Amino acid sequence: MIKHYRILEYALSSLLRRKYKNLALFLIYTLIVGVLSSVMFLTHSLKSEALKVFIDAPELIVQRLSGGRHELIPLGYADLIESIPGVATVQPRYWGYYYDPNTGGNYTIMARTTSAELDLITGTMPQEGQCAVGKGVAQARQLDINDIMFFTLGSEQKLMLKVVGIFTANSSILTNDLVIMDKNDLLRFFALDKDKATDLMVKVNNEMEINTITNKIKRTLPDTRPITRSEILRTYENVFNWRGGMALVMFCGTLLAFFIFAWDKATGLSAEERQEIGILKAIGWETSDVLTLKFWEAMVISLSSFLSGVILGYVHVFYFGGTIFDPFLKGWSILLPPFDPIPYIDIYQVVVIFFLTVVPYLASTIIPSWKAAIADPDTIMR
Amino acid sequence: MRRRSTLVLFALVVFLLSAVVGYAAEALQPSTKDKCPVCGMIVHSSPQWVAQIIFRDGSYAMFDGPKDMLKYYHNMPRYNKNKTQADISDIYVTEYYTAKPVKAQEITFVIGSDVMGPMGREYVPVSDNKVKTFMVDHKGGRSMKFADIKAEDLSEENAPTHHMKDH
Repeated sequence: MIKHYRILEYALSSLLRRKYKNLALFLIYTLIVGVLSSVMFLTHSLKSEALKVFIDAPELIVQRLSGGRHELIPLGYADLIESIPGVATVQPRYWGYYYDPNTGGNYTIMARTTSAELDLITGTMPQEGQCAVGKGVAQARQLDINDIMFFTLGSEQKLMLKVVGIFTANSSILTNDLVIMDKNDLLRFFALDKDKATDLMVKVNNEMEINTITNKIKRTLPDTRPITRSEILRTYENVFNWRGGMALVMFCGTLLAFFIFAWDKATGLSAEERQEIGILKAIGWETSDVLTLKFWEAMVISLSSFLSGVILGYVHVFYFGGTIFDPFLKGWSILLPPFDPIPYIDIYQVVVIFFLTVVPYLASTIIPSWKAAIADPDTIMR
Repeated sequence: MRRRSTLVLFALVVFLLSAVVGYAAEALQPSTKDKCPVCGMIVHSSPQWVAQIIFRDGSYAMFDGPKDMLKYYHNMPRYNKNKTQADISDIYVTEYYTAKPVKAQEITFVIGSDVMGPMGREYVPVSDNKVKTFMVDHKGGRSMKFADIKAEDLSEENAPTHHMKDH
């Protein structure tokens, strides 16, 4: 143990002797790990946040199509679907988009349902004449609880609602641009038919029966399109994976450049370094001691840059909202900036980054030193 | 003195607990530890298939499908030497369409369908009024009540080729 301690001490002092070279190496190394880990953290955080909310989603959503486009669905369809064996409940959903001319933002407006959204809120859920808004909407309109919110559509339709709840930041990926109001307010504001809904939410008891139910709905109601939860989940996952992949591809070049740089720095033992190894051997160091020394040198460099890189990535993503990668990973309609990802760390990802960066570096330093160390000290020093 | 009162309290609690358990012949929720005594698989990972036999003394056996429950029921000496069919208080299976526990005697079992359980071909429990729908949707072969299922049927179910010859 003492021996390792002494060798580590020697390794540190020999690193200090080549201060600038090692500092440059450390900085570039940190930057690369930082970039890699930011991409992974951001993708993972977006993905798990979106997927977590979709776990509570209904098994099926039934939309009506007309001319290949989404159309309002008659409430009578709900009874037909409910009579299919295996269907637990059918609930109509009412929602739409609202462009707010004052702030230039697009809001998603939804009628209150009795689903699991309740636990996301601070304040209460809205009754008629009231509404609950997402954090983004509250910030854009500078709203607080008990303020009045105005909606206008053309010059005819107006709506004034009292804000009774604001969604917490934890759910901002789905609720940031959301306004929840009572069904009657929404129907009146959008001038919708009373006997039609935007789509139907179908809960199924036994997940093995989902496909059969989907087929039956398609057969009995040919103008509808049932969308299963697994399809939604898969689509979201693909979108996030694709975006994360794009970002990674763009940084692939950087990664390769780093490997070349590290390889060059680490493998090309300078004549000076060879001589040092030769001297160490001549004064009685064994090959294993030299290897331990080189191991510690590489470990100090790579581990400290790895750790600071991961911290850099973490700070970048979770304190600055992944500013650099915003354009790759976000930028579709349901995500309104600003977006604050919730810190999630997946040990698996950290391990992957570790093996991608630290292990190759260790190997590429130790092997050439081992070659130098097993040679005759006399030949090396000459 | 103090020790004695603790003992009395303990006895009281045990008595009350056993009374409660003995009375409760309702279907149980499978815990993460419950294993099927017939095939050894963990039960709770496929909740829509769970079957259970509850004994009069409050102990129970959880199965990962009605087929294993039937095998157990028709061959009790092999799986549980301490109990006989007379010790059984209630048998529950999970109904296919509602995914809720129902007494095995109040339901119809359908075999030969295309619905596969954790152990492959299954005796799918379907409530009586939905048997017709199930037969059409899932190409069911034969339907039978709990009392009509014989031990011989179970071995037949194991050999698919025999089974196919039936229809």
